[in-house]
Amino acid sequence: MYKFKKIDPYDWFCGPGSHISIDKLFSNILTLRLCLNLGIHEVTVYAFSIENFKRSKEEVDGLMELARQKFSRLLTEQENLEKHGVCIRVLGDLTLLPTDLQQLIAKAVVATKAHNKCFLNVCFAYTSRHEIANAVKEMAWGVEQGLIKPSDVSEVLLSECLYSSNSPNPDLLIRTSGEVRLSDFLLWQTSYSCLVFQSVLWPEYSFWNLCEAVLQYQLSYRSLQKAGDLHREGQALQQMEADRTCVAELLQHRGNGKPMDAQSRQKELLNYTASREERVHCFLNALQHKRDTVFSDLSSQAVLA
Amino acid sequence: MALLYEMAWRFLHALLYVQRALVAWFRVHIWRWKRAVVGLLLPLALGFHNPKKTGAIGKRTSRRVRWGADGRTLEKLPLHVGLLITEEEIHFTDVANLVVWCMAVGISYVSVYDNQGVFRRNNSRLMEEILKQQQELLGMDSSKYSVEFMKNGTDKQEHQVLPCQSVVKVLSPDDGRLSIVQAAQQLCRAVEQKEKTIKDINVTVLDSLLRESKNIPDPDLVLKFGPVESTLGFLPWHIRLTEIISMPSHVDVSYDDLFGALQRYATCEQRLGK
Repeated sequence: MYKFKKIDPYDWFCGPGSHISIDKLFSNILTLRLCLNLGIHEVTVYAFSIENFKRSKEEVDGLMELARQKFSRLLTEQENLEKHGVCIRVLGDLTLLPTDLQQLIAKAVVATKAHNKCFLNVCFAYTSRHEIANAVKEMAWGVEQGLIKPSDVSEVLLSECLYSSNSPNPDLLIRTSGEVRLSDFLLWQTSYSCLVFQSVLWPEYSFWNLCEAVLQYQLSYRSLQKAGDLHREGQALQQMEADRTCVAELLQHRGNGKPMDAQSRQKELLNYTASREERVHCFLNALQHKRDTVFSDLSSQAVLA
Repeated sequence: MALLYEMAWRFLHALLYVQRALVAWFRVHIWRWKRAVVGLLLPLALGFHNPKKTGAIGKRTSRRVRWGADGRTLEKLPLHVGLLITEEEIHFTDVANLVVWCMAVGISYVSVYDNQGVFRRNNSRLMEEILKQQQELLGMDSSKYSVEFMKNGTDKQEHQVLPCQSVVKVLSPDDGRLSIVQAAQQLCRAVEQKEKTIKDINVTVLDSLLRESKNIPDPDLVLKFGPVESTLGFLPWHIRLTEIISMPSHVDVSYDDLFGALQRYATCEQRLGK
């Protein structure tokens, strides 16, 4: 009934007891296991926000060091990760991080890329607004390269340009520590997701808390499906309208004054839609290739270092 | 084994349905009891529970004064409140009441949203209800509130009589993701025509584009009415730091319900990453 969930352990890194946090960092994998028990195969966690850079230099450096240790440790667990088919993805603006950490992250991502039993997405140096702005940038890049036209920009295309493009939208978002806001986490992707706010703190999060959240999701399921379907219908209609407008413009440009009959207009519309989809497909391939290259370059640099 | 799990889930669901039904029943009965008690105990000047005993005008003025005073007692008042109605059947009078109470308490911007676009399609009906309830609850002769209804593009209907104190906006899903897409298209066209480069595109630029067509501050607080636990497409870009407080229903909602939520908002703390 559900396949995807995001947890936001906002309070991970807070407080002076950061030595305790090291163990809790690995509860990522524990959480994944909890989720797998329930049949959930994908989890996204909010590890480090771009806003967190505002903290004191010592704190930020400390957190970067923790992250280095965590990713290094992950790399030693490769056999385990392969055995369980865990694919690790890191979402965020990695250029904001120290280079050696970028390389470590890239190594982990590249090493687990082919795994497909369960997926752990870690949001690092991430905010939702940056993610959306980045997606717009990527589409602008596509326009600059002549791969797509501005009129090809749509909700669906923007979703495909987000860092989370390889994942479906989450079904359930859990916010711990009693806060009742989204804090710039997956704002676009969770518009039609079930939001559960729980007062338990992340280090104390248990299987029963998870069940409680999933229960809430199940109870809201029908209304959420309905709202989601309504939204998708609206999207499809909008795309059709947009295509029609483009075709009308095209015909006007091309036009020799002769009015077109309905059948030819329909044919033109179908042709246009097919060519637009082809363009978009090529663009998305190019985008994926660009991103993969960044990771593989960083990863190979790490090997040399 | 799987059968056992499924039965366990179904049992939990059944238990929860029963619990919700009981809570709802209790809530209605306790509310009625509370209302009766308050009606007896409150001084007549404040009691709109006893309409026969006080003059209508005096009662409205004292209510207006009381609500305004209530707003000032709060540690912080949201600048912009979003009313997110998730229930399928919408009671316009109750929504109008909420809007009027928000304005009376001193909230500058009130947005009204539902994910089916019902408010957008019936904006004149909502407007009429708001004016009617304003008259009913606050006794204001002419509209002291500017009511603006958001539409895509530039055709905004404004119903303004006097300088505004509060602004009411009607929103629909089009104001959410679709607005972001339109801003993205605008930026892509600018890049195509070499008016902008890719480096010019960032959060600030996108934010100012999205603000240009809305010119209201980000919502500080969203009051979500109904059992659906989701924002249902409400302004995704703007709600990054918005407190989301859930209320069981907008049907027969009372001023005290609203004020309780505002008190809850007043006690929350925003760390902003630090």
